[in-house]
Amino acid sequence: MKQRETIALGLMALATVGTLAAIFGYERYRRATQFDVVLIARAPEYGNWDPRTITVPRGQPVRLHIRNIDTVSHGFGLPAFDVAVREIEAGTATTTTFTPDRAGEFLFLCTVWCSERHLEMTGKLVVQ
Amino acid sequence: MSESSPTQEQAAAPEPAKEKERLFGLLDLDARFDLTRFRLIRALLKSRWMPLALILFNTFMFMIILVATLLGGFSAGNYNFGIMLVWILWWVLLMFVLVPVFARAWCLMCPFPIFSDWFQRRRLINIGEEPKKPWGLNRRWPKWLKNMWLMNVLFLVTTFFSGFLTVRPFATFVLLGSVILAAFIVGLVYEKRSFCLYLCPVSGFQGLYSQFAAAEIRRKDDAICKAHKKKTCFIGNEQGHGCPWLLMPFKFEKNTYCGMCLECFKTCPHDNMAFNLRPFGADLLVDTKLESKGLDEAWKAFIMLGIAVVFYLGFQGPWGFMKDMIRGTTLPGFLSYIAFHTVFCLAVIPGVFLAFCWLSKLASGNREVPLKKVFTGFAYTLIPLGLGVWVAFSFGIILPNGSYLLHIASDPFSWGWNLFGTANFPWTPVLTGYLPHLQGIAMLLFYLFSVDYGTKLARRIYPEPAQAKRGFVPILAALTAVTFLFLWLYMG
Repeated sequence: MKQRETIALGLMALATVGTLAAIFGYERYRRATQFDVVLIARAPEYGNWDPRTITVPRGQPVRLHIRNIDTVSHGFGLPAFDVAVREIEAGTATTTTFTPDRAGEFLFLCTVWCSERHLEMTGKLVVQ
Repeated sequence: MSESSPTQEQAAAPEPAKEKERLFGLLDLDARFDLTRFRLIRALLKSRWMPLALILFNTFMFMIILVATLLGGFSAGNYNFGIMLVWILWWVLLMFVLVPVFARAWCLMCPFPIFSDWFQRRRLINIGEEPKKPWGLNRRWPKWLKNMWLMNVLFLVTTFFSGFLTVRPFATFVLLGSVILAAFIVGLVYEKRSFCLYLCPVSGFQGLYSQFAAAEIRRKDDAICKAHKKKTCFIGNEQGHGCPWLLMPFKFEKNTYCGMCLECFKTCPHDNMAFNLRPFGADLLVDTKLESKGLDEAWKAFIMLGIAVVFYLGFQGPWGFMKDMIRGTTLPGFLSYIAFHTVFCLAVIPGVFLAFCWLSKLASGNREVPLKKVFTGFAYTLIPLGLGVWVAFSFGIILPNGSYLLHIASDPFSWGWNLFGTANFPWTPVLTGYLPHLQGIAMLLFYLFSVDYGTKLARRIYPEPAQAKRGFVPILAALTAVTFLFLWLYMG
């Protein structure tokens, strides 16, 4: 009987704490092994790019993971390094890789007309 | 001796057999098929792992839902695991299967009260010796609140925010978090499942519509219950807890407040509890002293109908300004929506129905029957129709949006996961060309149930068959008008 209660409590811990640990543990592992930078895309009125400024080292490949958690499509453009993701549909994520070969500050922007404030959806890539 | 007094001979004669009532003139309303006759099902219902295993599974699911809705922020409802699971899959399962077939089957597996149950009982699965006094204040719920009124108000208030809940993950997180927290706090103060019984916003309509359900939990044999003096189903024993829903399983007649927790299967030493399949709607005719028809349930039926109209106009109709009002694009628009929604559900629909009931009384020619009895009694005809409206509405949710479920199953947090290889499954509406037809069929089918039960309820409201026939005509007109209204809305 005592064993049954222990099993039940164990299952409850697994369903609650275990679930949280599994979710965040897996994502942490994934981010550590698959991406260098995670960028969230939202229309300016809902939060804009997050982070607005990305800092990366010069000469090393950057694996940029973009999550669109908005209700509309967004695009990603980094003209200085010829990077373009045409459309990231609402609720989806995409990964793009590029190598910044010169230092400086560069503009990145949304390339899909996403809202009345679309033109404000810009950010800064700092290459050191 | 007066002429009407029975003679000794007459008194000794057996009573004429009461004519059996039949659904659509075919199916005996007393017909029952007890699933516990199958050993496996009986063992399952008596196992202490049932329904705990289902509750634990849903606890796991709700943890994912809570994380998804918290991280999902303020946007992308259709690609959010929480929104899709709760407002599309859960809602549709509830309306298509769980409520109409299995009554309060969701309450059986709902994870929300697990924490307060655990706190009160100090055990998750075992029984042992019942503690003399459970943890928590264990207070009794106020008698004047032992009805559906609070649930009616809370559910209506919840629907004020439907324009946010269904598209903004964080709004759903706030709602679910509040319900889970409230269930726990109420469990600390009040006894057993007081929260589920009298506060949970989704409990009320499940209770109401479960009267239509094709399943029930009831005692098998009255005589066994009467002979069993120690009512273990109510007080509990070493096999299980006393009814957490504060019912008396040895005598209740309606599904409304039975949360199907299955404890009575465990505590009955005579295996006298049955899990019956039965004709749809059998509870609609029940009106006992213990479980009488009431205005709270009547208003719940009106509210559910009103919400369906408002939801259709706001979510599935072509009127953009209404969508803006519900989504709170402007504060005055949102407040106007709340005002209209409240007045429509709480006053306009009941008012119109009252007018039809007054006409019914007039048409019956019976001046003795109280209008309240006519009003309350006939309100139950709206239960099958209301359920039909929601089944039809649910077709409009699942067919266009169901394909998103494949996406969110693979990528529940929009992190770019692809667990099952379906993350890139495109939005694919299914059978939407047939949507109006399916909605129309659902409406007509449930309308027939309403009419059939309406005739039976009329015979209970009016003492004379002729009065019942005449008195039902205005109600039939009202039911037909409501059906045509929804047919027009759904089919154009």
